[in-house]
Amino acid sequence: MTAEKIDITSTELVSKKYRKRSAFVAIWNRLKKNKGAVLGLVILVLVTLLAIFAPVIYNYESDVIEQNVMNRLKPPSAEHWCGTDDLGRDILARIVFGARYSLAIGVVSVIISLIFGVTLGAAAGYVGGAFEDVIMRITDIFSSIPSILMAIAIVSALGKSTFNLMVAVGVSSTPTFVRVARAAVLSVRGEEYVESARAIGMRDWKIILVHILPNCVSQIIVQATLRVAQAIIASAGLSFLGLGVPAPAPEWGSMLSAGRAYIRNSSYLTIFPGLAIMITVLSLNLIGDGLRDAIDPKLKR
Amino acid sequence: MHRYIFKRLLMLIPVLLGVVFIIFFIMDLAPGDPVYMVAGDQATEEELDALREQLGLSGNIFTRYLRYVNNMLHGDFGTSFVTKRDVFKTYMERLPNTIRLASLAMIIAIVVSIPLGIIAAVHQNSLKDTASMVLSLLGLSMPNFWLGLLLILVFSLRLGWLPSGGYTGFRSIILPALTVASGLAALLTRTTRSSMLDVIRQDYLRTARSKGVTERKVINKHALCNALIPIITVFGIQFSNVLGGSALAETVFSWPGVGRLVVDAINQRDIPTVTGALVMTTMLVSIVNLAVDIVYAYVDPRIKAQYTK
Amino acid sequence: MSDNNYIFDIEGLNVRYETEDGTVYAVNGLDLKLGYKKTLGLVGETGAGKTTTALAMLRLVPSPPGVVECAKLEICGQDIRSLSAQELEEVRGKDISMIFQDPMTALNPVFRVVDQIAESLEIHEHLSHHDAQEKAKELLEMVGISRSRANEFAHQFSGGMKQRVVIAIALACNPKLIIADEPTTALDVTIQAQVLDLMKDLKEKHDTSMIMITHDLGIVAEVCDEVAVMYTGRIVEQGTLEDIFERTMHPYTEGLFNSLPNIADRQAMLKPIRGLMPDPTEQPKGCPFAPRCDYAGRECESEHPALRSVTDTHKVACSAYDRQPDFLLERRKAR
Repeated sequence: MTAEKIDITSTELVSKKYRKRSAFVAIWNRLKKNKGAVLGLVILVLVTLLAIFAPVIYNYESDVIEQNVMNRLKPPSAEHWCGTDDLGRDILARIVFGARYSLAIGVVSVIISLIFGVTLGAAAGYVGGAFEDVIMRITDIFSSIPSILMAIAIVSALGKSTFNLMVAVGVSSTPTFVRVARAAVLSVRGEEYVESARAIGMRDWKIILVHILPNCVSQIIVQATLRVAQAIIASAGLSFLGLGVPAPAPEWGSMLSAGRAYIRNSSYLTIFPGLAIMITVLSLNLIGDGLRDAIDPKLKR
Repeated sequence: MHRYIFKRLLMLIPVLLGVVFIIFFIMDLAPGDPVYMVAGDQATEEELDALREQLGLSGNIFTRYLRYVNNMLHGDFGTSFVTKRDVFKTYMERLPNTIRLASLAMIIAIVVSIPLGIIAAVHQNSLKDTASMVLSLLGLSMPNFWLGLLLILVFSLRLGWLPSGGYTGFRSIILPALTVASGLAALLTRTTRSSMLDVIRQDYLRTARSKGVTERKVINKHALCNALIPIITVFGIQFSNVLGGSALAETVFSWPGVGRLVVDAINQRDIPTVTGALVMTTMLVSIVNLAVDIVYAYVDPRIKAQYTK
Repeated sequence: MSDNNYIFDIEGLNVRYETEDGTVYAVNGLDLKLGYKKTLGLVGETGAGKTTTALAMLRLVPSPPGVVECAKLEICGQDIRSLSAQELEEVRGKDISMIFQDPMTALNPVFRVVDQIAESLEIHEHLSHHDAQEKAKELLEMVGISRSRANEFAHQFSGGMKQRVVIAIALACNPKLIIADEPTTALDVTIQAQVLDLMKDLKEKHDTSMIMITHDLGIVAEVCDEVAVMYTGRIVEQGTLEDIFERTMHPYTEGLFNSLPNIADRQAMLKPIRGLMPDPTEQPKGCPFAPRCDYAGRECESEHPALRSVTDTHKVACSAYDRQPDFLLERRKAR
């Protein structure tokens, strides 16, 4: 009897895994055909490589942080491709190092909201009843506060630091993931393989982890990609308001904020960091859109 | 329908109470006792206690919360630590500016995005479609405060056509409104396009064509009326982001609105103003969302039928 | 204009859909004409190209992916091919109107039922809004729906009522030709009979010509004067109702009859047509029905049978009659 039980689960798992692998191959093949998504991937890989190898290209102390009044507000030239700021620091070097902050903040804040959002949403969708009601009402409450204002409040309460910025942006985008995860769980909860897992006495948390979440992963990945893009914009916005990464660290939003005073004569201080944000965010949006179309080709038009 | 509206208004109450609590909780995390900020360094311990009582800062978070809600119901959102003015009054002075900015931005977004989305859907996969999709993707990927800076750079500093900030009549609202509108317009263009593409395949459009309805009317009346339903939903969800986004635009353009009130208050650690402004802004968002839901029910008779039953 | 003995006259109609996955040949060299006040039954399996033919007549084939070629397309004495978009809109709903297959999706969910009927009246009869509404309510009553329900929406109606509304829309401007695309397929059997009776009555009252697209030979027997049997986008047999029912000549037509249950002899086995329709993305070299045909010889797989007249009214596309002039189907032998 027991042996039989195990057999059923294991064959089921194997077949599901097999199905998953071929599904991922199909998604990847469709994604490869999408020019926008490929462009996005290429840009994102380049930006990531720049972020990783920034210390190889530039010296953080001497190129990014050190003030050099002699080189103040130099327009773009062969020596300083994007010019220098009001403290004589090379803009390009700061942008390259800034990629580390933006990517890290974007990714970590989304991971924070993923952990909270997916856990709560999946639990709400799976358990249902009063528990679900409570979770969803709290989510409603959170999402009725404009997210950027909430992030502003959180950073100001916790104090300005890179980590607090991640927490603030993460908390303010948690409601999205609660909703996505709950909807995804609801859509597969009634499926037969979940019913049969329950029938053979599998633990609830294990059912969620093994049977339900893997089937919602694609939707969550799409949302996560798009949310990283949003988080980069939000964190740049907070830094722009002076609530983000503390000086002298080179964050793109705070570079824009600092450059604003010199916009009349040194507009490159405004143009280049903004371009960096836009290109990075654009690449993520392209990948997110491409993934969505690749995962559900019916939606592609 | 009236009963539905009434029910929705009732449901707003617990949400708003929750919002107040969350904001209260967040602001409570701030380190340091705000009473020192008001009293200054010279105050004695007795003076501080008296001041604490006076400012409503005594007691634990729950007693303060209940006191705040009670005052709120009487229209009292406290007094600013910094300006010593009534928070409600200050907010109401600023609100019309934000509403002006937000409404113009939303009008611009609608006027631009719906035709663009329709054209893209009708000429799917054409150059027009690709162009409007690229444009909206750029709009989505551009931080709006950066767009604001670029607009200032081009239209105020280089061309000298429009003022770069402050509130000086209609000309001064154009750039901030464009800034706030950009993200919304981009999102609505995409929504309109995909929603129209959905509707364009429906059989009832073929019925309309077979009746001899002109192609223009098939698209602008028969298709659009159906496509509007998801567009209105997105619009409602985005209202909150418009208000949030205007906080940044207001900072860029020194626009005397609610968003800048919050940002300034936070920089000055003016807790009553931050709390009051956030609570009132959230109320505004909730009421607008309710209004959107009602409009929704009027556009789609199927939904209206559910509510009136 | 040419001779006006026919309500419509189509020659050499080809329609194909060019999709990413290949070209679907939906209609292939179709010739069809019908006399005034007659009803033609267009019969065939799903995918035979019946609906596409109907859409092509109104120039409603979606393009892309649809590509329509036609040597002659005259309806009500007008050359439909040469009409401008505006002229075409004047013809649609006024001279020719169409009743669609699925009443569930054929009505616009966000407009009142009465407005959807009144719209054609406003367009074609140039009635004022008020008059059009009044006439629309009369039409609703004519199709058996109380005028008190005129201001409701489609979702408040049952399937049969929706189909009545669709019929009212099609009849609003007394068209000369109605194309009914499986008007009863989506309905319950009891409602089917009601709707058919209604259509027959209205047709007789208004002297309308009609194309009845269906796969149901029972309906054909009930309402049609002439019948055209379609297979893979071609007409394989065409004739009067008697020609087709009593003097069946094409093996495919016979197959359709054999698939029907026989009430008189319930012990008899049903004889479904074996196999499936060929892949519509491929153009067969020989007779497209040959792979499924019990009578097929080797020649059938290589030569394409033309549609030839047997009598004044009866046409068939089957090479068995070339090889063997006295060839008879089993169905005919049994009689």
